[in-house]
Amino acid sequence: MVFVNLFRESGKFRLGSIITLLLIVLALLHQPLVEWRIGNADPMKVGSFPIFLDPSGEHWLGTDRFGRDVVSLVLIALPISLTVAFLAGAISTTLGVVIGFVSGYKGGRIDAVLRTITDMFIVIPTLPLIIILAANTRNLGSVKLALVLAFFSWPVAARVIRSQVMSLRERPYIELSKMTNLSDREIIFGDILPNMAPYVAIGFAQASVGSAFALVGLTVLGLGPSSQMDLGRIISEALGYGVISLGKELIFVAPVVLLILLFLGLALVSQGMEEFFNPRLRGQV
Amino acid sequence: MMPATTAETQRAHRQGDAPLLEIENLAIHFRSPKGVARVVDGTTLTIHRNEIVGVAGESGSGKTTLVEALLQIVRFPNRETRGRVMFTTRAGQKVDLMQLGPRQMRRLRLDEIAYVPQGSMNSLNPVVRVGTQIVDGMVDHGVGEREARRRVPGILERVGLEPRVAKLYPHELSGGMKQRVIIAIAISMNPALIIADEPTTALDVNVQRRILETLSRLRDELGVAILMVSHDLPVHAQLVDRVAVMYAGQIVETGDVRSVVKTPLHPYAKGLMQAIPSITKPRERLEGIRGTTPSPFAWPDGCRFHNRCPYAMEVCANVPPFIAGVRAGQRETVDGVMDVQPGREVACHLYPESTPDAEATS
Amino acid sequence: MVAGNPPATVLDDEPAGPQLSAVPRKGALNPTARYILRRLGLYLITLWGSLSASFFFFRMLPGDPISGIIAQLQTRGQYSAIEGSQDMVEHYRREFGLDGSLGEQYVRYFQNVFTRFDFGPSVLSYPTASTDLILRALPWTLVLIGVSTLLGWLLGILLGTLTGWRRRSRWAEWVTNTALVFSHVPSYFVALVLIIFLAYRFSLLPANGAYDASLQPEWSLEFFLSVIKYATLPVLATVLVSLSGWMLSTRALVVSILGEDFLTFANAKGLTPRRILTSYVMRNAWLPQIAALGMALGSVVSGNVLIERLFRYPGVGNLLVDSVVIKDVNTAMAVVTLLIFMVLTINLIIDLCLPLIDPRVKFTS
Repeated sequence: MVFVNLFRESGKFRLGSIITLLLIVLALLHQPLVEWRIGNADPMKVGSFPIFLDPSGEHWLGTDRFGRDVVSLVLIALPISLTVAFLAGAISTTLGVVIGFVSGYKGGRIDAVLRTITDMFIVIPTLPLIIILAANTRNLGSVKLALVLAFFSWPVAARVIRSQVMSLRERPYIELSKMTNLSDREIIFGDILPNMAPYVAIGFAQASVGSAFALVGLTVLGLGPSSQMDLGRIISEALGYGVISLGKELIFVAPVVLLILLFLGLALVSQGMEEFFNPRLRGQV
Repeated sequence: MMPATTAETQRAHRQGDAPLLEIENLAIHFRSPKGVARVVDGTTLTIHRNEIVGVAGESGSGKTTLVEALLQIVRFPNRETRGRVMFTTRAGQKVDLMQLGPRQMRRLRLDEIAYVPQGSMNSLNPVVRVGTQIVDGMVDHGVGEREARRRVPGILERVGLEPRVAKLYPHELSGGMKQRVIIAIAISMNPALIIADEPTTALDVNVQRRILETLSRLRDELGVAILMVSHDLPVHAQLVDRVAVMYAGQIVETGDVRSVVKTPLHPYAKGLMQAIPSITKPRERLEGIRGTTPSPFAWPDGCRFHNRCPYAMEVCANVPPFIAGVRAGQRETVDGVMDVQPGREVACHLYPESTPDAEATS
Repeated sequence: MVAGNPPATVLDDEPAGPQLSAVPRKGALNPTARYILRRLGLYLITLWGSLSASFFFFRMLPGDPISGIIAQLQTRGQYSAIEGSQDMVEHYRREFGLDGSLGEQYVRYFQNVFTRFDFGPSVLSYPTASTDLILRALPWTLVLIGVSTLLGWLLGILLGTLTGWRRRSRWAEWVTNTALVFSHVPSYFVALVLIIFLAYRFSLLPANGAYDASLQPEWSLEFFLSVIKYATLPVLATVLVSLSGWMLSTRALVVSILGEDFLTFANAKGLTPRRILTSYVMRNAWLPQIAALGMALGSVVSGNVLIERLFRYPGVGNLLVDSVVIKDVNTAMAVVTLLIFMVLTINLIIDLCLPLIDPRVKFTS
């Protein structure tokens, strides 16, 4: 029910979640939509249609260099991009929550060590490392890709969670719980975690955006999973066969627009949530 | 020791002195979706040169809004003002502060009327040295930079700080020192009036006493008038000459501070006095004032205090009393028959001077 | 005369304030020096740690580098033999530093890197050393990153201050909303759009390389103009996005500062609006942004890789991608090492210089 309030009160959250949900729906419905556009043909099959057709009633965005209907290509690529981004987001959020939590709750030495590691990851340019890792891994499937991306984006969530846990730890009601001899575990699950839920959600949104960014970086360079077509790969291939100079930019407009919508949607969601849950960020009267 | 001496000098000052700030029927309303909040609703108060006047009241009485409005230090838009505030400038002109444009107001601030905010720990710019913060005010009011810097040690000494404090940053000072710096800034241009909003809140009692002593000394040495706002009656008792008690956006009682403390006339003032524990009197149960502060969106009809007043009469619920001078001498007051000193004013139907019919006939 | 205390002793029974205890005691290692040492130590450890990590990272990548190397060389006609003989393999092992145990390799590698800056031969243009390839590419990257980062930061905080200061005006809202959109779009996409419109549709600016192909690098005006022309689009793409980010964060800072007590008091002091804007608002808003610049450097570098690739700009990012694709481990590792070193060092410098400009930052342990 908190989310209902959030939806009602935060314009940013409203807009962001609508956009994101639309994308998800589009992805879920990709199968029937593809069938609607090109019947039973395999969207990835080369030569299904004449190459480089202009946009028409048949092919809303025309066809590409390999004679594939662009619209259906985009439709099957969307769910893959979304899956990888959200999967990576989930993994890195989980990692981040665990590490951030341990760091914030235990404090002391453990905290110092974990914090140093976290900071290291944030400061170091990870994209080059991701590129290298991806380039050298055989058979990079979606899951492995998500793991790779998550490995580099968990520090963001970790930091947020850590500071939240630390501030929660000092709150009076926690002290009270400690005094009444509740075990650590009970305190964690009963008092702290419920209050962290919004921040975990924010962390997830941000981690997903970060992963999506990195994903685009990778796939656009052509280093993504070769077995599947995702949005970045469409862009990369299109650039590869020189769409710009051929004047056929429309081919990668759709993936670019969808990706931008994804970034915007998730960013608005996370910002809306942040403003809602952190009253200090709300504009002053 | 100190208050007595000050009181005597005060009387001498006050009798001869010209009015400096004349608040005439000032009303400040805020328009909002919830309606109109009449935070200050018709107040009249005069401050003379060299005089220290206090405005006492709880939160919600409008006292802070009142003083903030004087210098247009307002945080909210949608403000409507009525009434006049006549201030006599250095040049001898009388200007209505409510009518001044932003540029004129800026020139007037610090130079003629200075402001000392609540003892907040955050009123100084954290990344600029203290000395520079004293200088920049002067420079922006026409003093040359070099001359301003030259004056800084003297100003610091006046408020009881060592000159070397000028080189420090605000975070290197204690709360009391910061407040003194702010007072130093306030006197830097030798203004005629200092407006102090809760200058001792958030400071511990010893520091409080020091600050009040400093303010009093400054009045004696520099001849500056002070308008102080505070919810804390003992603070008023230590510093001010005259006090005005504010309730629900209006002034309900004024008079010499010792007089008001000893013989409060208005039931609200009496309630405030009763709520202060005394060290000398025998221990007795403290009485609060029953009820809660009304909302500025809907002040009660008639006398605004009537629904909390133990002495309320029928007329109180219907007819608002005027603030009026009370004839001195043996009078029937809220505390029984007492000797009322001259110079008292009150807005309460217990005193016939306050009731409109009496006004019309007298 | 009231309680006539001479000023000197009025300095009260009040505690002297925290500043006296912060004055370093003679003899003891003062907190500042201790902090500097610790920070330096942290830097060296992080540097060593990440370099070692990347070393092992590369060494543990799947596949046999030697056969890959030989295959590369074969495709480039450097070798006509069908398969490498044992001697050849040994030869290349030594050449590329892959002989001996992992430990030996590790030690040898670090020795070479730190004493002779030798990262080993590259595969991209064997036998050119990786170091040389990097040195050739580095200036271009520095130009690109340097200019875009500084421009983006400067323009961003300026605009951010203005939109925060005048946040109720119409233009401020427009600019803010535009920035909101831009800040979430990868610079890559912006670059694509710019390329389509400015390079191809309207042929205004070039989108390939660092300078006109017909020119030779030299200290001439013509060359410089060409460099500027070719750098415009990449820089523009990066600046548009980074500017938006800085603008939004600065604006938020300014807005929160405007609500602070010391701003109210500055107003009550009758200071001129100009002084309030410069000494009170800007000085408080820009200081944290300087530190933030260091933190943002990591992502600046990452984003730059893609931009260089898109524009075929001959910087280290482009070099990285090329080397990764053909599995030129030495070059790739050298680039990564360089990038990590740059980011860590700049962060160190900013951290150490921060107390010089922000009086609130004290070296505390």
